[in-house]
Formats: sequence, structure tokens, C-alpha cells
Amino acid sequence: MANTVIGSSIVIDGEISGDEDLVIQGTVKGKISLKESLFVDSSGVVEADIETQNVEVSGKVTGNINASDKVELKSDCRVIGDIKAPRILIADGASFKGNVDMDVKER
Amino acid sequence: MANPKDTSSSSGDNTVIGPSIVINGKLSGDEDLTVRGRLEGELSLTKTLIVEPSGVVKANVDVKNAVISGAVVGNVDAAESVELTKEGRMVGDIRSPRVILVDGASLRGRIDMGEVKGERSEKGARPVRAVRSVPVPARPAARIGKSKLEGKPSPPPPPSESRSGAPVPPLVAAGSRRRVVVKKKAR
Repeated sequence: MANTVIGSSIVIDGEISGDEDLVIQGTVKGKISLKESLFVDSSGVVEADIETQNVEVSGKVTGNINASDKVELKSDCRVIGDIKAPRILIADGASFKGNVDMDVKER
Repeated sequence: MANPKDTSSSSGDNTVIGPSIVINGKLSGDEDLTVRGRLEGELSLTKTLIVEPSGVVKANVDVKNAVISGAVVGNVDAAESVELTKEGRMVGDIRSPRVILVDGASLRGRIDMGEVKGERSEKGARPVRAVRSVPVPARPAARIGKSKLEGKPSPPPPPSESRSGAPVPPLVAAGSRRRVVVKKKAR
């Protein structure tokens, strides 16, 4: 329980920043910037620009994702927006609409 | 106050804002929230807010219960209770029917427990009671005394005296000493 959890009934409208893992089961609108991993659970809804190291999406994300390491779209997730990350994984069953930019130079 | 503590100790799937997290904006929800990091803006919950010692909340807070062990800057409006623990620091007004301040807690602001009635008499209740209870037995006594002594008293003064009696008491004072005593107590 060391990491931060935004529970399923919570709605945040604003900015979230920090340097630890963040699990979202509720709704977040605005902007998220972390130095660690972001997990959007299946009940999570994110309408925000995301800037983190890792992102793992099982829920809904609308907004641009910019990850310094990895973005993982799990099955049953719905993502609308551009993704920029050196590693991007899209699982079978995931739905995604947007641009993908795997910054090849960095690797 | 047992419920909030219980839920905080068994924080299984509550919402937790970790120590390095900063949230800027509006937060609302229907579950318990534990703040170990920083939260600025507006906060409204239908359950319990727990601000841990490392937590900082700079927001107007509208919750059911609040347990504050960290720092809160802003007004707290709680439907049920607010508890400032010994590590709690707060600047702002509290509005809640139950407010618990533990030794060691620091607060700068006002506390409003709403309509204080019956046996739960706090600071705010005593003056109100005193003002109401003292004139009631005193008024008839004063009237009787006056009518006996002066024979023809002017009926209107008594009610108006009780509200703004400043100029009147000196005149009546000679007739009835009781009235003067009452005024002193009421003021």
C-alpha cells in the first residue's frame, strides 16, 4: 500500500504529479506527470495528458501519452490519443486510435 | 471516532495519495481518502478524509468525517465530525457538529458546531443561555416593584430596555435595584 491509489468513486479534475507509482481506478481529468509508473485499471477513466516512465492501461484513456520507457495497452482498454514512447505494447483486444511515435534515436 | 480509525488501519482499497504525489485541482468522491502527499484546490467526499502526518491539504474541504494528523490550510466543513490529532496542524475554519481537538493539536481559525443545544454546552452556548434565562424571572419582579412604588409606570419601556437599555437604567435604578443587577449580569 505504499503507492498511490485513486479509488473507483473518486473524481479528480486538475493536475497530478509525483515520483511514485499511481493506480487509477476512478476518473482523472487534467494532467498527470509522474517519474514512475501509471496504472489505469479497468474501471479507470483518464482524460488527461500523461507524462510518465511507464504506463499500463486496462481502462479508458483520452489524451496524449508520453512515456520515457514503456506504454502497454492491455486487452479491453480503450485509448484515444497519441503515444510517444521507445517501447509500445498493444495486446490483442485493445482498442487504440492515434499516432504512435517510437523515438528510435534514443534506443 | 472509532470508525475513521478502523478504516484507516484497514486501508485495503481506499484511495491513497502517496507522500510524493501532488494533486492540484478538484477532487470528489464517495469513499475514504488518505492523504500522505499534497493536495491543493477543492475536496469533497461523502466519507472520511484522513490526513496523515506527512500529508498537506491546502483546500476547502467538504466531507463527512475528517481526521487530521497532518497540515490543513483551508476551511473544513464536515457533516459528522472533525478530529485534530496531536500531530494535526490547521489554519482555517471548522464547521461540524462534532469537533475533537486533542492535546498537542494546533488550530488557528473558527469553530462552528452549528446549533448548540441541551447538555452539549460549549463556549458559544453559555452567554446565550445566560442572557435568556436571567431576564425572564427578573422582568416580572421589576414590573411589580415599579408599579407598587411609582404607581404609574410607562408600559412600553421594559421590552425595549432589555434590548437597548443603556439610557434607561439610570432613571429606573432608583426605583428597583434588581434591575440594575440584572443589567450588569447581562452585559
